[in-house]
Amino acid sequence: MVERWRLLDTGLRDAFYNMALDEAIAIARSKNIVPNTIRFFRWEPSAVSIGYFQSMEEEVDIEACNRLGIDYVRRRTGGGAVYHDRDGELTYSLVVNEDHPLISRDFQKTYETLCSGLVRGLRLLGVPAEFKPINDIVVGGKKISGNAQTRGMGVVHQHGTILRDVNPKLMFTVLKVPSEKIRDKMIKAAEERVISIKSYLGREVSFEELKSALIKGFEESFNIRLLPGEITYFEEQMALKLKAEKYSTREWNFRR
Amino acid sequence: MLRAEYKVEGGKLIKVQLTKQNDKIGSIKITGDFFMHPEEAIEGLEIALIGCPINEIVLASTIRNFINENKVILLGATPEDFAKCIIKAGGGSG
Repeated sequence: MVERWRLLDTGLRDAFYNMALDEAIAIARSKNIVPNTIRFFRWEPSAVSIGYFQSMEEEVDIEACNRLGIDYVRRRTGGGAVYHDRDGELTYSLVVNEDHPLISRDFQKTYETLCSGLVRGLRLLGVPAEFKPINDIVVGGKKISGNAQTRGMGVVHQHGTILRDVNPKLMFTVLKVPSEKIRDKMIKAAEERVISIKSYLGREVSFEELKSALIKGFEESFNIRLLPGEITYFEEQMALKLKAEKYSTREWNFRR
Repeated sequence: MLRAEYKVEGGKLIKVQLTKQNDKIGSIKITGDFFMHPEEAIEGLEIALIGCPINEIVLASTIRNFINENKVILLGATPEDFAKCIIKAGGGSG
């Protein structure tokens, strides 16, 4: 029988809740309260997330965020700073037991395996996506998806973004662009490093159409069935607690 | 406060802030968009580097030992990359 995973779609939520719910699902999975899970979510208001090891002050233009009403949050995963546009971006998270056959002890291999669902989904839409180590998905060399993974309590948690539409001007208003990277690319415009589904296909792809394709991509790649489900009471309470005590606190967000 | 950025081949960026004490590391903060598992190990690594002479070979081996002893996995950066960034920040006199 094909393995069944839970599918969640939590719609538009704020950055602190979104990051808290990811951790709450991982905790619930580790306690075997919930099955392996894929969640889709979006951000309201738009937000910037930074990697676990990054410095908030160095990566994010706090003043610009405050002026524009954009939230900023530290993730529990490493990797880089990301601008999550309310209307441009779809985010997913995936929580799976570490002893699952999809999971390798090799992190790099696991990124490629877990990203294969997204790659397949994007190709179903006609976007020739490819995995690019370490943790990106690219189209013609331009980034369309960034992903980040952590492990703990016997659970693998990976989350990432898919650019449906892109607003580079806003993106680089709220992110401080690392000068060396820019210099490295020979003053190539920052806009040229990323691509969206819309800019590739030349048409608007709705969130619903995108999610349907990704669901199919995950199902085919992982040989699973995704069954729409609900957040458990445990997860909701844990998410609210983690939001209040961790992800919305200055102590967490400015700790590095 | 001495600072440096070091771009790893493949795209990740390491940033170091440090203070020196008698040509050794007095305090250090390592940030960037690399991956380290478990994540909390970064704080232990920073503590392990305090008092370390600012010498690339010594730094790299100190970091490598810490990583091996604590079963830490690094992705997107190596102990040598961290060492190079530390040298870039604090390698000069003063």
